[in-house]
Amino acid sequence: MTTIVLPYMLDFYPLQDEDNTRIHQFYASLREGKLMTTKCKDCGGLFWPPRVACPGCNSDQFEWVELPGEGELYAFTAMLLGAPMGMEKDVPFVLGMVQLDGTEFKVLSRIGNTKYEDCSLGMRVKLETYDLEDGRVWFRFVPITSD
Amino acid sequence: MKNVAIVACGLAPFGVRKATWRELVQEASKAVFDDVQNLDKKDIDSLFVGAAMPERFAFQSHVAPLVAEQVGIVPHKVVTRTELACSSGQSAVRTAWASIVTGLSDIALCLGVEKMNMPNMLETQTSMACVLEREWDGVQGASAPPFFAMCAQRHMHEYGTTVEQMAMVSEKNHHFSTTNPYAQFQKEIPAEKVLGSPMIAPPLRLFDCSGITDGAAAVILTSEERAKEFTDTPAYIIGSGQCSMASNLANYKSLSTWHPLKIAAKEAYRSAKIGPMDLDFAELHDCFTISEIIEYEDAGFCEKGEGGKFIEEGQSNIGGKMPVNTRGGLLGTGHPLGATGIGQIVEIMQQFRSTVPKERLVDGAEMAMSHNLSGAANVHSILVFGRSPR
Repeated sequence: MTTIVLPYMLDFYPLQDEDNTRIHQFYASLREGKLMTTKCKDCGGLFWPPRVACPGCNSDQFEWVELPGEGELYAFTAMLLGAPMGMEKDVPFVLGMVQLDGTEFKVLSRIGNTKYEDCSLGMRVKLETYDLEDGRVWFRFVPITSD
Repeated sequence: MKNVAIVACGLAPFGVRKATWRELVQEASKAVFDDVQNLDKKDIDSLFVGAAMPERFAFQSHVAPLVAEQVGIVPHKVVTRTELACSSGQSAVRTAWASIVTGLSDIALCLGVEKMNMPNMLETQTSMACVLEREWDGVQGASAPPFFAMCAQRHMHEYGTTVEQMAMVSEKNHHFSTTNPYAQFQKEIPAEKVLGSPMIAPPLRLFDCSGITDGAAAVILTSEERAKEFTDTPAYIIGSGQCSMASNLANYKSLSTWHPLKIAAKEAYRSAKIGPMDLDFAELHDCFTISEIIEYEDAGFCEKGEGGKFIEEGQSNIGGKMPVNTRGGLLGTGHPLGATGIGQIVEIMQQFRSTVPKERLVDGAEMAMSHNLSGAANVHSILVFGRSPR
């Protein structure tokens, strides 16, 4: 069970355990380095982020499928001024939309291990997961280096 | 369908105001009631309050009854708040319009308000991150400037739009706002100054972005049958379109083409039985310079990809093909979320009445539209206004 230190009004991160969300499997998988989402067993619809009811066919029968952990930068920028509370210390940071290989999804993410000046459209990136201070897990993408 | 008219309008000055949320409400209320003749407040049966985030900016929910008491009315048909982030103000007017069309409401007050400047501006910036999908996108540190920066990057990449063209949008709208005593920014900002201003989220610089603003605006709506009791110069709602498409950024089809705007615009023109160029001017949602450029295109004022050329050629200036944002836009006037959409409608009404300063008057204008986007441009809302009913 996640312990939230009060006040937590400005907690940005989702509550991740099974006491709080029905998609806790997503976070458990993320901890293993996998980006998963739900696929509808009835209509085959693949949605991001994970669902508990299918917006396509109204089914509630899903299976977990792994999304590609790699993709390319569809767009990117950097946060230089005006970051939200708790993220000021990260400034400047790069944000990008990652077109996951073979999917329609352009997942918005921090792009770590790089600077804005070193990024380019189409740059190859891969998933990286990390632990938050309170024990929760989160993800970002980082450039795929040639070595 | 029943014709509905705006019969009165009023503004509280926009800016970094030394005034509270409820004081802004009272200022806009005074202004709108000063503007109307022969109206007994008792006859206002409905109230729609456009407010995006009073819970965060003013720690106040259930704001509609608070507004009703502040302005001195007892609405007894419909009383509610409309929230649609940056389009909350237009949402109030849309909802009031629908209520009058059905015959449920007779006379409605729409009041939009936002108090965004707080002692600790970090709190405001943080709150703005929940306008995006907070659990998946806001959590990464995204908010409006990075999103629109990426739209600009894609538009530049796909169509060759330049930062110089974007700066011209800022110059134009800041020039218009020098004529507007209600605007947050009343100084000229030449394009060179835009290009030399601090980078916020590349390629967007400070003067590519609208401000963080306190403000309020109000209008009164009624049916065509009653409109002439209250004013000689009503502004009729003659068309409407609205579309929501996607929420999580992963599910966007494009950043450089705003598909929900194309759909909303098509429906707005269809319902008004006009084409885009039948409009005499437009109030577009220029939260960022790139927004106005994409909107020229997807609202149908020019071909796709030619928005940069449109501003460069002066087509969105007075005397051009489609004057845009004559009051100064969000860039010049500021962007108090809940007040913005109504502030735009105030400009349209004052243009129709020819009461705006000569420098920004679109002489003889008969038709105009107000457009808002909200969130990460995934909702677009349009109302079309005419000096004559449909």
